[in-house]
Amino acid sequence: MPIRSLTSQTDLFRRAAEEASVALSKWLSRPTSITINQVSVLPITDAAGVLGVTDSPLVACAMQITGLFSGLLVLTSDDASGLALADMLLGREIGTSTEWTEVEQSAAVETANIIGCAYLNAMAGDPQANPNAVAEPLLPSPPWFIRDYAAAVMQGILMAQASVADDVFLTHTDFCVDDMPGKCSLLFIPEADDLG
Amino acid sequence: MAEIGVGRDDGQLRTFVGSCVGVAIYNRRRKLAGMAHVMLPESKGRKTQPGKFADTAIPELLRQLGALCRGEPVRWSAKLAGGAKMFAFQSGMTIGDQNVAAIEQLLGQLDIPILAKCCGGEQGRRIALDVATGTMTVETMGAEPQRF
Repeated sequence: MPIRSLTSQTDLFRRAAEEASVALSKWLSRPTSITINQVSVLPITDAAGVLGVTDSPLVACAMQITGLFSGLLVLTSDDASGLALADMLLGREIGTSTEWTEVEQSAAVETANIIGCAYLNAMAGDPQANPNAVAEPLLPSPPWFIRDYAAAVMQGILMAQASVADDVFLTHTDFCVDDMPGKCSLLFIPEADDLG
Repeated sequence: MAEIGVGRDDGQLRTFVGSCVGVAIYNRRRKLAGMAHVMLPESKGRKTQPGKFADTAIPELLRQLGALCRGEPVRWSAKLAGGAKMFAFQSGMTIGDQNVAAIEQLLGQLDIPILAKCCGGEQGRRIALDVATGTMTVETMGAEPQRF
């Protein structure tokens, strides 16, 4: 199925996000909620600003996807939310972690793995996206952790689509976890070759 | 992203770059400066966003600067920052490397010297170009700003 036709398939991405939310809730043993903010084709400048920040630090765990679609799946957060997630995972009081040591980075990467795999498995198993679910899975690479200016991170995320089009397609889902000070966001950006 | 800005006399032109490259062209004596945020090396005939590609951004930047000095001949200089490899899974010659190479080639063809360059690495950069002096301030997260 061409990705561009998926812009009208908000329910497909909602189901995938709900599966990811369930997985995150189990992983953290806390209630979570989701908000689907975007399933759309946007001018690249608008797409770069979907998270609403430019010069603040952004933490991102990016996974390359292959299979049914190729592209990127990226879990992002601000420092406070990402470090709070790490504290939850490590059984610490929220606010204990104040910097991104190897331990906190590992917690973020594992969380991205959990959310990402649940999201992709739900999509690959959905007959709306993949009538041949068994034949064409969606496979993520190990997540890669970066922390940088939000604008610079977004450039890297959007570059593959930007190289062949002026507009980009993305989905943007926010996850809120009980006791987390902010939110984390999951961005799905297929490669332009798959845009159909 | 993919934007072009010019100024004269005072003020700053600012942008963020990851794999993109900020190309500053300026003349200190006339207090004229401009900056393009180049995302990709080649337009391949596309004209919708001239600031996006090195081969369309630089001519458009020079055109806008030329309009500010009413077409009088000006000796321009350039400074570059950006072209980072933002994700480790990018392999081979990255988009950032290609951007820098394309910009260097184009500026060379136009006989515009590159007086400073802060490119490559794996970190994004915050760039500010002082219009009056052509001084470029480059910041990476967690490090002291560098001035060129």
